[in-house]
Amino acid sequence: MYKMERRREEFEATCKLFIDSVSNYFKVLTEVDSEMSIPYLKETEDLKLKDFTGMIRVSGNRKGFVYFSAEKNMLVDLISMFIGIDEPSNEDILDMAGEISNVVAGNVRANLGTNFMISVPVVFEGNPDELQFPSNRSVYVIPIKWKNYEAYVVVGFE
Amino acid sequence: MTTVLIVDDSSIMRRTIEKNLTGYDLEVIGTVSNGVEALEVVQEKKPDVITLDITMPEMDGITCLEGIMEIHPEAKVMIITALSDKLTGLLALDKGARGFLYKPVSAESLQKAFDKLLSRNV
Repeated sequence: MYKMERRREEFEATCKLFIDSVSNYFKVLTEVDSEMSIPYLKETEDLKLKDFTGMIRVSGNRKGFVYFSAEKNMLVDLISMFIGIDEPSNEDILDMAGEISNVVAGNVRANLGTNFMISVPVVFEGNPDELQFPSNRSVYVIPIKWKNYEAYVVVGFE
Repeated sequence: MTTVLIVDDSSIMRRTIEKNLTGYDLEVIGTVSNGVEALEVVQEKKPDVITLDITMPEMDGITCLEGIMEIHPEAKVMIITALSDKLTGLLALDKGARGFLYKPVSAESLQKAFDKLLSRNV
């Protein structure tokens, strides 16, 4: 019982860090607030990503990964807002997904410290066959809405 | 005219920084995506100001900063990074950075930091 309670508290604390990080990103750069739905646990076997994803590997005192996965139109809208390009290339859209994942993961170091070490982003489109999540592991999924576009942050730690 | 080098592995970030500096009396003489390329440009062109990301492939920003300080110690380096812990900021300042911004960086905060960086003679 104690273990389950501990796990729930850890789940909520970790989700809060990432929710705050995502909220801050959209608030600072777009002045349009993002909305988060209730985070949930999901088995990696059932995980389906959105159109474009940036993935950060985490090492140090936590080991695992952080994904920011978004529908294409969200990323296109952000690129238009930031640099004024209305028809960005796929490379630009991938870059945008990677940069958001970098900022979302990097910002939680304010709370988790320098031993929360993050990689450069790995980016991809869709759900590539070669993408393998660690099996039999639960991951936290945090659904995000911004201007009616959907995205989510997926967090998986050992 | 003050010359600027922008170093960030995200091309969107490089272009965002460049766009937000329009209106300043600056010449952006290069935009590169990692520390190795940055050191080549620093060696060749000795930019006055360098914006420098930390998490990058090939060579990270802290290692690059050490190299910049050896090649061109007069450069005013402004770190712009997502790594928001205080220790990273202190480490960068200790190694010679003159400014530090945490991503996400709004246009206003970038311009404010540039105003400060360009106006003081440090």
